[in-house]
Amino acid sequence: MRIQLENVGLSFGERVALHTLSLELSEHRIGVIGLNGSGKTSFARLIAGLARPTAGRVLLDGLDTVEQAKALEGRTGFIFQNPGNQIILPIIEDDIALGLKSRGVDGADLTQRVSAALNRFGIEDLARRRPHELSGGQLQLAALAAVTVTEPDLILFDEPTNQLDLRNRAIVKDTIANLPEQAVIVSHDLDLVAGFERVLVFHEGRLAFDGWGHEALRFYRELAGC
Amino acid sequence: MLNSLHIEGASWLHRMGTGWKLFALFVISLALTLIDNLPVLAGALFASLIVARSIGMKERMLWQRTKPVLLTIAFLALVNMVLLSPRDGLVILLRLPAILFFASAVTASTSLSAFIDCLTRAAMPLEKMGLLRAADLGLALGLVLRFVPEIHERYRALRDAHQARGIPVKLHRLLGPLIISTLKDADSIADAIDARGIRGQKSRH
Repeated sequence: MRIQLENVGLSFGERVALHTLSLELSEHRIGVIGLNGSGKTSFARLIAGLARPTAGRVLLDGLDTVEQAKALEGRTGFIFQNPGNQIILPIIEDDIALGLKSRGVDGADLTQRVSAALNRFGIEDLARRRPHELSGGQLQLAALAAVTVTEPDLILFDEPTNQLDLRNRAIVKDTIANLPEQAVIVSHDLDLVAGFERVLVFHEGRLAFDGWGHEALRFYRELAGC
Repeated sequence: MLNSLHIEGASWLHRMGTGWKLFALFVISLALTLIDNLPVLAGALFASLIVARSIGMKERMLWQRTKPVLLTIAFLALVNMVLLSPRDGLVILLRLPAILFFASAVTASTSLSAFIDCLTRAAMPLEKMGLLRAADLGLALGLVLRFVPEIHERYRALRDAHQARGIPVKLHRLLGPLIISTLKDADSIADAIDARGIRGQKSRH
């Protein structure tokens, strides 16, 4: 998917979350890093259509995320910082089915697609489990199954390895690496984005660096003074 | 705790449509409320136990699931026996557990998603009248069932934090942070609903 930002800005009253920015992205893996409050999450929310730009426009494959939102429905998925909050129903497989049901899928097709989503992430055993019983890594995989079941072209991750232990971090990292879908990953986990084709470094609401993973990391470390 | 009480199975009651089950439960409950013939009520109680057993709910499980309500019924029956007559107390002791066990069997044989689907279908006439979106009603039920355990967890975390700091745990002190953190999460849940396109077009803000 081709992501274009044309003179995009985002403000909340007097506070500027993102200064005017023009950018085009089409890489398979795009990392977004920066200090806290640098505008990373705002950038991802703009692309997902969860925030409306206060200036300019965001285009996905040429479609405006505000004016042509209907045409873009289901083409992007978003994995939030706290995956627990994005699992809406009390049973995992019911939650995975919810996104499909709201798009009119039912019967055998629904059952088959839910089962395929569970298989895809190796979480068949979690099908009848409740979210509050799951570990952070399991929640992340369940959230991913619920998002990918509707077959989006682009998935945006907001700090997907945040608060995960070493094992769960490795599982999530491996899962993201093998996803066939295009992904934009906002993260403080530098290992996760190091090998990416393109990494954007945000600083105080501005795009401060745009380039290869390792170069971006070097720039970011200098910026952060460590 | 408000969790799913569904029991996996393929019994006759599992296979029965949710709407029919709820309708039958309504009719049976209404009939039992109107009847005060002791042998009939005893028969109904026996039948409710058979139905519960037929879906894999043995007496022990039934007791565990319904204990607080059964104890309340026992208290109510005792009060009626003392204040009215032993017969009135016995009627309550047969009637209410029978209704409770039939309802437990319906709950145990119906998944939450089936309940939500049924509620959504039942609300369709209201949607046609332009009063609400039927799917929202099901979604609201799902959200309540989903997040009650989370709020309970949060309450426990706040209580532990107070105890760790040596602050006496008082409900009024916990209520503020509990409400604020719940409202904060409500925003991200609303975002997730939008991002997953569950209520149709994203409500951009």
